[in-house]
Amino acid sequence: MNAISTSMNAGLTSSSHAGAEVRRGGIELARNRLIFAVLFFCVAFFGLAARTLELGFSAEAPKRVVQKQITVPPVRFARSDILDRNGEILATSLEMASLFANPQSIKDPDEAARKLVAVLPGLSYADVKAKLSSNKKFVWLQRKISPRQKWAVNALGIPAFGFKSEDERLYPHGRLAAHVIGYSGLDNQGLGGLEHFFDERLSDPDRSDVALKLSLDIRVQYALADELEAAKRAYQAKGATGLVMDVNTGEVLAMVSLPDFDPNNTRGAKDCELPKQAANASDASECGLFNRATQGVYELGSTFKTFTFAAALDDGLVSFEDGYDATKPLKVSRFTISDDHPKNRYLTVPEIFTFSSNIGTAQMALDLGADRQQEFLNELGFLRPATIELGEVGRPLFPAKWRKVSTMTISYGHGIAVSPLQLASGIASMVNGGRLLPATLVHNPDNWQQGKQVITPATSRQIRQLLRMAVTKGTGGRADAVGYRVGGKTGTAEKPVAGGYDRKALISSFVGVYPMDDPQYVVFALLDEPKGTKETFNFAAGGWVAAPVVRNVILRTAPLLGVAPKKEDTGLYQNVAMMIEE
Amino acid sequence: MRKVVTYLAAATAMVSGAAVLQLKMTVQERTEEVRAIAQKIHSDEEAIRVLEAEWAYLTTPSVLQNRSIQFLALMPPRAKQILHDPVVIPFRPRGVDVEQKDASSVVLPVVAKPARKSAKKKSMKGDSL
Repeated sequence: MNAISTSMNAGLTSSSHAGAEVRRGGIELARNRLIFAVLFFCVAFFGLAARTLELGFSAEAPKRVVQKQITVPPVRFARSDILDRNGEILATSLEMASLFANPQSIKDPDEAARKLVAVLPGLSYADVKAKLSSNKKFVWLQRKISPRQKWAVNALGIPAFGFKSEDERLYPHGRLAAHVIGYSGLDNQGLGGLEHFFDERLSDPDRSDVALKLSLDIRVQYALADELEAAKRAYQAKGATGLVMDVNTGEVLAMVSLPDFDPNNTRGAKDCELPKQAANASDASECGLFNRATQGVYELGSTFKTFTFAAALDDGLVSFEDGYDATKPLKVSRFTISDDHPKNRYLTVPEIFTFSSNIGTAQMALDLGADRQQEFLNELGFLRPATIELGEVGRPLFPAKWRKVSTMTISYGHGIAVSPLQLASGIASMVNGGRLLPATLVHNPDNWQQGKQVITPATSRQIRQLLRMAVTKGTGGRADAVGYRVGGKTGTAEKPVAGGYDRKALISSFVGVYPMDDPQYVVFALLDEPKGTKETFNFAAGGWVAAPVVRNVILRTAPLLGVAPKKEDTGLYQNVAMMIEE
Repeated sequence: MRKVVTYLAAATAMVSGAAVLQLKMTVQERTEEVRAIAQKIHSDEEAIRVLEAEWAYLTTPSVLQNRSIQFLALMPPRAKQILHDPVVIPFRPRGVDVEQKDASSVVLPVVAKPARKSAKKKSMKGDSL
C-alpha cells in the first residue's frame, strides 16, 4: 500500500513527498521510543512491587539495622553499692514503694482497712481505718514497703491505693561491719563510716553503677566479730574491738567494734559524739556508734614493747646477747616499775621481750633516750590521728612534756594512748621488712604503695623472731594456732583513772601475726574491762582472754585466706631460743 | 494493549499500597514488641538488684553458720586436715587390684558416733598438728 500511494503521489512535488516520508519516519521512531519507555516503567514497577511483596510477606527480618534505636531505661538509684573484696554486697540501694491512699474514693473504709491490715501486719487496724475514713485526698499509709508487700497490696485490687517510689539504703549483713560501712539517713545522705567519707562519690549520679569495692572480707569480718562477741560475753567485758590487716598492702580485712549497731535501723543506737578522752572511752560502752578500732584510743600496754625493741635493735644499741638487770623493781621519782611475771634475775634481751619485763624495757628506753623514742613513735604515726577512710578517727594521747618517767612508761605502753588501728599498722611495719604502709579500707590494687622504710629488714627479721618466741615460750602461749606459726605480743594495761591507774579495770589485748616465716596478716583483739573466769583462773590479762580470740580467728580464717598450715622450721628461731632460759 | 497496561498499573499500585501498609503495621508491631522487651529488661534488672540484696541477706555468714550447725555439723578445719602440698598424698601401691565392677563401690567409713553438736565446737579447735 505504501508503494501505491508513493506512486500516486509521484506526480506531486517531489519535495512534499520527501517531507511526508520524513514525518512518517519520525512518528515511527517516537512510537518505538515510547514503547521502550513504557516497557521500562512497567519493568521498574514490577520490580518495586515484587520487592514490596517480598519485604511485606517475607518471614525473615531485614538484615539492615534499624536506625531508630530503642534503649533499655537504665536502673536508677541514689547511691552506688558498696561491695567487699569478693564482690559480696555490703550496702545497696533499692527502689522501695511507699503506699498512699485517696480516702475520698474509698466507699467502704472498714473493708479496705481490714484487707490492708491482713497484708501488712505492721499496721494497726484502727489507725488505718481512721485514715481511710478521713476527708482528705491523700494519706500516707506505710513508707518503704518491700516488693512482695507491694505485690500483695496490688493484688487486693483497691484502686484508691497508690505507690510512690523512694530509694532505700539497705545493709544486708546488718550489724556486721556496721562501723566500717557506716549508715545513711532517710534522704540518702551518708552519716557515718565510709558512707559519710565517700558521700560525694557514692551519690554521684554518673558513677552510681560503679560499686565501691572495700578491702574487707565479710567472712573474716564475721569470724572476728563472732569470736570477739563470744569472748566479750564470756568475760563480761564492757566492749571489744579487733582488726585483721594484710601486712604487705595495709588493707584492713576486718574491723570490729563491740557493742555495735544495726545500720538498717540506727534509731536505738546512741551517738555519744567524740570521746572526751581515753579515760572516758569506756563510758561510751553503751554507745553502739562509737568505733573503738579507730575512734577509741587506749593505753595498750606491753604490745608497745615491740616498738621499743625495734628502735633499740635498729640503732644497734642492743643485740640479742645483751641484757638488763631485772632483779628488783625500778624506782623513778614517786613511781615504781615492776614486772607482772617477775623472774628476779638478769634477763637477756629476748627474755625481756618474751617474759614481758617492764623493768628491762624501761632501762632499754633510757638508753635509747627520750628524743629518739619520740622520733621513732612519730615516724610510726603514733603521735597524730590515724589516716584511714573514716571520719571517726581518735587523736592519740601522749604527754606534752616528754619526761624521763614518760620515756620509761611509754616504752611498755603506758602514758601513751593510740587507736588499735595505729597499733596494727605499726606491728605490720615491724614484721613486713620494715615498711610502714598506710592502712586502707578500699580495695584498689593499683594504689598499693611501697611504704616508708622505718626499720631495716634485718631488724624486722629479729622482731619476727622475738614475736614468735613470745608465743612459743612466753606470755602469748594461748594464741598458738597449731600449724600457722603465730607470733605476737600480749598487752595488759590498767585503765587510767583520776590520779592514777585502776588495778581492777584492764584493757587486755593481743596482737598476733601469722605465719611468722612469711608474715601475711596481723590479727588484733582487745577486750575492755574483762573479768576473769574459772577457766582463766580469774586472770583477765591479754594472754588469758585476748590471745585465744586471736588463735580462734586464725584457725577459722587462715584456710579462707589461703595460708596453709605447715611444720615449723625451728632453725629460724634457734639463735633466739638459746638466749631464753625458762 | 494500552488498556491492559493501565489495568496492570492500577493493580500493581493497589497491591503495592496494600503491601506497604502491611509492612508499616508489621514494623509498628515489632517496635511495640521491642519496647516491651526493653521494659521487661529494665524491670528484670531491678528485680535482680532486689534478689541480689536478698541473697546477700539470706547468706550472711551468721545465717550460714547457724544452718551449718543445724544440718551439717561442720566446723572449721583443723590444721592436720589441710594438706598444702599434694605430693604428700601417697599413690596406690602397684599391683593392688582396684574394684572396677561397680563405680559406686567407694564406701565412706562408717561414723561410729552421730556427729557431735555445736556445743563441742570451741573445744575441738586447735588440736595438735
